Amino acid sequence: MAKRILITDDALFMRVTLKNILTQNGFEVCGEASNGVEAVKLYSELKPDLVTMDITMPEMDGLEALKQIRSSDPNAVIVMCTAMGQKNMVVEAIQSGAKDFIVKPFQPDRVLEAVNKLLAA
Amino acid sequence: MKVDYVLPFVEACVTVIQTMAGLTPERGQLSARPQMFTSQQLNIVCGITGQIEGQVIYGMSIQTAEKIASKMLGTAVTTFDQLAASAIAELGNMVSGNSMTLMAGKGFTCDITPPTIVKGTNVKISTLDIPALVIPMAVADLGSLEINVSLQERRARAA
Repeated sequence: MAKRILITDDALFMRVTLKNILTQNGFEVCGEASNGVEAVKLYSELKPDLVTMDITMPEMDGLEALKQIRSSDPNAVIVMCTAMGQKNMVVEAIQSGAKDFIVKPFQPDRVLEAVNKLLAA
Repeated sequence: MKVDYVLPFVEACVTVIQTMAGLTPERGQLSARPQMFTSQQLNIVCGITGQIEGQVIYGMSIQTAEKIASKMLGTAVTTFDQLAASAIAELGNMVSGNSMTLMAGKGFTCDITPPTIVKGTNVKISTLDIPALVIPMAVADLGSLEINVSLQERRARAA
């Protein structure tokens, strides 16, 4: 069965881009969230195998959503996917349980490498 | 305003457009901008908060925006719809985000706000008490994009 992924990004463009990359490579995009609040809600409803998480978003940012999801499910697999690559953000995300940190703009292979590695089981 | 604040945006703009569109922008002449200026046809407004704060506005013609969006989406954009607007907004987000990474390397910790798109001719934009520096970036086949950087150190305002 295809692994199920929840995409979180406030930009429609980025959701479409990620969805194309993932679905073309055999993954199922089970949901799309456009802010942290939606991501937390959809995570508990859908229980995806992996979440991609933007940081700069309205309502609730991706770091806060990461923390909330990980506190309700310590096994949640979340990959940050953001334009902000400074050290303090990366450190905060990894310490909060993010499994990888992809900086935009990215090549499709970078996303696939991260997702394949984390879902290979 | 310090010219130092502008250079990370130039560097980030080159990186982002190279990755997203496969083209290398050419940097033009830096100039100062009056506090009230007339916008381009399409503008992406990004807020910067933290040790340095203010706004960065990326301005371009609709034609350039459509061409850039077409490159980003991998399909020709003929009407500037929600998806095209989102692609252009994300371009601003990526340039701003990458700039903040470069700023962090210089010792300034900053964050960005989600981008806003302002579309329309003859719109007056004011960056209030922070003067703006503008740098044009020319991209072959796509047209020109200008980066208006209006930033100051946070403690400068309190002084």
